[in-house]
Amino acid sequence: MKSRKVIIFIFCFFLGLSLVVLTKVSNGQRLYVSPKVLEDYRISIEGEKKDMENLKALVEETENKLNEYIRLQEEKEDLSKELEKQLFADIALYSFASGFVAAEGPGVEILIDDGTRDLEFGEDPNDILVHDSDLLLIINELRAAGAEMISVNGQRIIDQTSISCSGYTVRINDQFYARPFIIRAIGDGSRMASTLIGPGGYGTLLKEYGLVFKVTIKDNIVIPEYTENRNFIYMSRVTADSAKEGEEN
Amino acid sequence: MKNKSGIIVITVIAVLIGLIISIQISTTDSSDIGGLIPVAKAQGLELELKKLRAEKEAIMQEYLELEARLKEIELKNLSDDALLQEATRDLEKYKMSSGVVDVKGPGIIVTVDDPPPTEDNPGDGYSIIMLRYDLLLSLVNKLKEAGAEAISINGQRIISVTEISLAGDNVNINTVPTAPPYTIKAIGNPDTLSSTLSIRYGIVDTMRKNFGLVVDIVKQEEIEIPRYSGAIKFRYAKPIYNTAEEE
Repeated sequence: MKSRKVIIFIFCFFLGLSLVVLTKVSNGQRLYVSPKVLEDYRISIEGEKKDMENLKALVEETENKLNEYIRLQEEKEDLSKELEKQLFADIALYSFASGFVAAEGPGVEILIDDGTRDLEFGEDPNDILVHDSDLLLIINELRAAGAEMISVNGQRIIDQTSISCSGYTVRINDQFYARPFIIRAIGDGSRMASTLIGPGGYGTLLKEYGLVFKVTIKDNIVIPEYTENRNFIYMSRVTADSAKEGEEN
Repeated sequence: MKNKSGIIVITVIAVLIGLIISIQISTTDSSDIGGLIPVAKAQGLELELKKLRAEKEAIMQEYLELEARLKEIELKNLSDDALLQEATRDLEKYKMSSGVVDVKGPGIIVTVDDPPPTEDNPGDGYSIIMLRYDLLLSLVNKLKEAGAEAISINGQRIISVTEISLAGDNVNINTVPTAPPYTIKAIGNPDTLSSTLSIRYGIVDTMRKNFGLVVDIVKQEEIEIPRYSGAIKFRYAKPIYNTAEEE
């Protein structure tokens, strides 16, 4: 008889406990968030950390340069020679990076053309045509695989280049091109090629649709410079002073 | 008789316990990643993120100050030779084109977020905008077409080699992992930029109607876009100078 009472007591104890726990966690507010929100925060934090590392490296590099200049200045050396050298080195690097200088190097050449197979009954002809989105995605894949310079039909792709369909042609850097499209990219050729034509790669997908997609790894790819002039009407540089002002506002 | 009432009590208690256990299980099992998480934990992460961003801001300010000091030394020591002055101006233009300086100007801010979870559609733990990162790619392409001079996504400057790629569970931009909500900033003519995006059946329409994404466009007098935070170097590409020596 006694043992039964004990069992009932234990049951009641747990029951009360779980009721308390349940009421405690529900005090009116939104209590739970989905795991997705947490995951998003985690990724953002990871990203900010990575970005910060990059910035720290940048700060360190600038600091070293500054210290070097200060040291040279104290040694009463003529800084102008050193600065001149740096100026021209910077011009060489950034004019190259911004697309004003032609480039050569190893890489891949990709040929994309509309499919030649017959359409199946009721099929949309769009399925076997090359679209601007195809080109965009291929260029994006190439960048993800570490492409350093890219051109499409001889047009250098710079940061401001858009690719858009306009009827039967595609407009790149304000020039019109029609099929076939030849994309050239300088970088690690085998890495870029395998990203595109590997299983699940975008090239493989296009081939399955019946489009023509050929990748050739080449030792010497030449990519011409960007020929248009670049003038910035809207943007201006942020300096240390203006950044402070912005913070105060 | 006494025995029977005891059994009834135990039955009632057992039923209640079973009910509680089943409630507990159903609240922890409603999602495929692993249940709901107390909001406190999310708040903790939010705080950490804020702290990191403030820290990054401080580092950026430090960098800008260092740059200013470098500039000062350059101004003092570089001879005011016309050719060198011209070269300094050229460098400025090249740096702005390469995306290695912070820039500001009028433009628009676009925010893209996943649809909020509702009763009917609680969401199953994955992000629509991350899986369909090609929408972001297309949005950026449209901004470029509308004449955007500088673009960034979640603080990552879009330069000529910037990728937006799904790597595992993350969308990497400039190899930095990013997550929703996505904030896309673009400097250019605010009216042109925003109407290019919000044209009927355009990209924003598609994102809203076909994918249920929450998209918001705000025009602003002045927005700031940070520089590309990585180092620019080329391992494969070599410049060819012999062709274009004019200018």
